[in-house]
Amino acid sequence: MKKIKQNLPAFPILAYLTILVGIPLLLVVILSFLSRDSLGNIIFEFTLSNYKKMFDPVYLKVFLNSFTLAILTGIITLLIGYPVAYFTASLDRKMRSFVILLIMLPFWISSLLRTYGWSILLGKEGLINNILMFFNIIDKPLNMMYKFGTVLTGTAYMLVPFMILSIYNSVDKLDRSLLEASYDLGGGKWKTFFNITLPLTMPGIAQGYTLVFIPALGLYYISDLLGGGNTMFIGNLINNMATRGRNRPLASAFAIGMILLVVLVLFIYGRVTKNNKESLYQ
Amino acid sequence: MNLNQKKFRTFYLSLFFIILYVPVLSVVLYSFNKSSSTAYWAGFTLNWYKELFNDRVILEAFNVSIKVALLTALLSAIVGTASAITSVYVTKKTEKTTNGLMFLPLIVPEVALGVSLLIFFSALKLPFGTFTLVISHSLFCVPYVYIMVQLRLKEINISIIEAAKDLGATRGQIIKTIILPLVMPSTLTASLLALAMSLDDVIISTYMAGPTTTTLPVHIFSMMRVGVTPKVNALCTLFLVGTFFLIGINQIIGTKGGKFFEQK
Repeated sequence: MKKIKQNLPAFPILAYLTILVGIPLLLVVILSFLSRDSLGNIIFEFTLSNYKKMFDPVYLKVFLNSFTLAILTGIITLLIGYPVAYFTASLDRKMRSFVILLIMLPFWISSLLRTYGWSILLGKEGLINNILMFFNIIDKPLNMMYKFGTVLTGTAYMLVPFMILSIYNSVDKLDRSLLEASYDLGGGKWKTFFNITLPLTMPGIAQGYTLVFIPALGLYYISDLLGGGNTMFIGNLINNMATRGRNRPLASAFAIGMILLVVLVLFIYGRVTKNNKESLYQ
Repeated sequence: MNLNQKKFRTFYLSLFFIILYVPVLSVVLYSFNKSSSTAYWAGFTLNWYKELFNDRVILEAFNVSIKVALLTALLSAIVGTASAITSVYVTKKTEKTTNGLMFLPLIVPEVALGVSLLIFFSALKLPFGTFTLVISHSLFCVPYVYIMVQLRLKEINISIIEAAKDLGATRGQIIKTIILPLVMPSTLTASLLALAMSLDDVIISTYMAGPTTTTLPVHIFSMMRVGVTPKVNALCTLFLVGTFFLIGINQIIGTKGGKFFEQK
């Protein structure tokens, strides 16, 4: 009884989260087992057809596209971001604050603007083509827009700050005396990096990869603006089906599929960072 | 680090930041271009800005966005701070449950969250508009306020609280006179973050916007899809200026632990 009284103040926030997150997600689960008539009205009859459709080769391809995009985005942001984080941590205090500000500033810039910036750069009449043609490096404009690579560039660009900040936090915590010990014992630069620095910054890498992977699955406005609908991704598909397609049951089933993918990634993240007590969003 | 390594470090970081900012700067640059094509530079103009201020749909969407963002920030500040303070007083188990539920909106992909809310509010037959926008935006803003205030609470020296207790202060007095003033900078910073996130949201707003109430990002997105004029550039540039203004305010009023950009 005393416990109930003690926990009473938490009731409003628990209610807020249950009603606005728990129940809507539950509705998605329920709806994913229902179907609809030709007008888009829901028919209350249990069916597995929405999930069966997911294994249709056309839709499997969409899942595969998104999965590939998210995996590659993680790899690219890691390869680009790791050196940035590593070098930033080695700067002196004043410079470091400034560089971190530069890394964080894009969070505050509209993501549509940042996506649109790439279409100005990469378009047929875009900045890069203009410059290359001006210097006579090419004589015909390059076709860089509306490809898988364009979407990948945009997504990696959007998410790279998450990767850098995650890795930076673990590089910053690195015990420098371990590195010195390794050098003293004759471990070379690369050997020290692969045997000490890399394993010790693994939690940061895992965190960064997770924080990049999850949004990379669903940023459909990037694939819309930079991919031009040439490659279908799960986010676009769910969006199309939920709005224009008026097929909410199918959209629900795909949303569940997407959430399961995220759960899988979080599970792997949990296994990788088993010994690390830090939470994902801190 | 020897000299060569330092040179490489400077080179790599510079190259990275150039790539990070060139797309943003090119949007700004072309907002002043006389020609509506990005193919060439036809001279400096402010015409696109003039056109922008004559576009009633954009101004209307801007109004909605600002209103929604302010309400979201206010709601998130109250809910997030209150629940963070509450989490100190409840049992460990309840705190863990709250933390777990808090992470849900951050972990579930935005499209899935958007669709779930679309289904939820349609089932309730609530009209889509400012109300649904504010409620849904608060879902991804409250967790940030909660986390930031919780971090601040952990820094509070427990002996201050104990001293107050010994001197006969009630729980309400302690919260009002000690805890709230101490966490206020974190609350302010987090609600500015909420403001920015609400102003920037595209995905959830797409589902939550009403037939007559769209937010600016949703409108910009639909403009971008049908083909763009530098009016979009001008709009984005103004947005950018607005954001930097917000950050500037925070850097000025922010006290210890409250600034966005600070080395701990």
